Amino acid sequence: MNGIADLGGRHGMGPIKFEENEPIFHAEWERRMFAMFILAFAGGHFNIDQFRYGMEQMAPAEYLTSDYYQHWMHSLEIWCRANGTFAEGEVERRMAELAKEAA
Amino acid sequence: MTTDHDHHHDHSHRSTDVSLRVKAIESLLVEKKLLDVEAVDKLIDLYEHKIGPRNGARVVAKAWTDPEYKARLLKDGTSAIAELGYSGVQGEDMVVLENTPDVHNMVVCTLCSCYPWPTLGLPPNWYKAAPYRSRAVIDPRGVLEEFGTAISSDVEVRVWDSNAELRYLVLPMRPAGTEGMSEEQLVELVTRDSMIGVGFPVQP
Amino acid sequence: MLTMFPAEGVEELVRTGGSCRVAVEMPCGFKPGDRVRAVNINPVTHTRLPQYVRGKCGVVVEDRGVFVFPDTNSLLKGEKPQHVYSVVFTAADLWGPDANPKDSLYIDLWEDYIVAAE
Repeated sequence: MNGIADLGGRHGMGPIKFEENEPIFHAEWERRMFAMFILAFAGGHFNIDQFRYGMEQMAPAEYLTSDYYQHWMHSLEIWCRANGTFAEGEVERRMAELAKEAA
Repeated sequence: MTTDHDHHHDHSHRSTDVSLRVKAIESLLVEKKLLDVEAVDKLIDLYEHKIGPRNGARVVAKAWTDPEYKARLLKDGTSAIAELGYSGVQGEDMVVLENTPDVHNMVVCTLCSCYPWPTLGLPPNWYKAAPYRSRAVIDPRGVLEEFGTAISSDVEVRVWDSNAELRYLVLPMRPAGTEGMSEEQLVELVTRDSMIGVGFPVQP
Repeated sequence: MLTMFPAEGVEELVRTGGSCRVAVEMPCGFKPGDRVRAVNINPVTHTRLPQYVRGKCGVVVEDRGVFVFPDTNSLLKGEKPQHVYSVVFTAADLWGPDANPKDSLYIDLWEDYIVAAE
C-alpha cells in the first residue's frame, strides 16, 4: 500500500535522533512487546508478511510519533482481533481492570 | 511549541498508557493459554544479554585475518557466519558486502526495520525511525555526514534497501596500522555502525 | 492454527529462525546483467515494492533464489514462490540529474515486480 511506512525518498522527516548509550529496551513494556510478537508469530497467529501489513495500517500521524514497539503492538492487536483471540474492546476492559487493581 | 517539560510529561503519560496496554495484552494471552510467560522471559534474556554486535565483530575480525574465511564469507554469508555459531531469526539468508577503497556500502530498511539480528542484535531506534529510513536512499552522503562519517567524492556509495528477506552485513575495511594485532584485539575495533555502513571501525 | 509457543522451544527457534526460502524450482526470467524495469503497481494491500523504485530501470546483479511472495502471503492467498533478484539502480535514474553520479541503490525485487526493460 502507498502508506506512511513506505518512507524511502521522503523529505521533511527531520534529523536523525541519536541516543547516547541507548539500551536495547527502553522500558519493561518494550521487552514484553518484543517477546510477545515473536512468540505469537512462532505460535502461528500470523505470518511475517501479515505482521508487516498490520503495522502499515497504523494511522500515519500515530505511526510517525509513537515509539517503535507500539507498531508491533498495533499489528499484534489487529491479528488477535482478526483471529478471534480478542473480542472488540476486550483489551480496553482488561486495562480498566488492571488500572483499578493498581489504584 | 511544547517546552522540554511538556514533552517529557506527554511522553511519560503516553508511556504509562502503553505500558498498561501491553500488560493487558499479555494478561489476556496468558489467560487464553496462548502465551508462555517463561518463553517471554527466555527470549528477552537472549536478546538483551546474549545476542549483539560483538557477534558480527567476530565475523569481521576473522575475515580480516583469514583470507580463506573472507572468501567463504563473501561467497555464502549464511554458511560462513554459521561457522562461528551465529544463525537464525532475521539472519537466515545473509549477504556480506565488502567495503573497499572505491566502494562504500550502507544498509537500510526503508519499509520497516529489517536488520541482521544474529550478527548485530536488535537495531537502534534511529535505524527504525523515519529520518534514516527516508533519507538513506535519497541522500546517503548527507546521512553519513550526520554520523560524522566522511566519504571522499572519489568513493562510490552503494545503499542496500533490505526490503526482502536477505539480510545485509557490511564488511568494513581493516584500519591501517593494525597488522600486528591479534584477532581478539581486532574484534574491539569493529563497531556496530561500521557493520551497518554508517561509520568506520575504530582507528587505533 | 494458534498455539502457545513453549519455553523449551525458544533456544532452537532463535538459532534456526524461519527462512522464507522455498525449496522449489521456479522459472527464472532474469539473469545478472539484464536490464529491467520495476512495474508500476499500486496495490492498496501489502507489497514490498516501494514507491520510489516503481517504473524505474535498473540492472539485475544477482539471483538470490526462490522465496515466498509477500503480496499474496500477507493476504493468505498463497506463497506463490518466485525468484528474488538484487537489482541496482543509479541514484540519477531514481532521483534525477542532481543526484551524485557515483551513487547507486540496490534492492531485492521478486519476479513479479520486474519486466524486461525496452
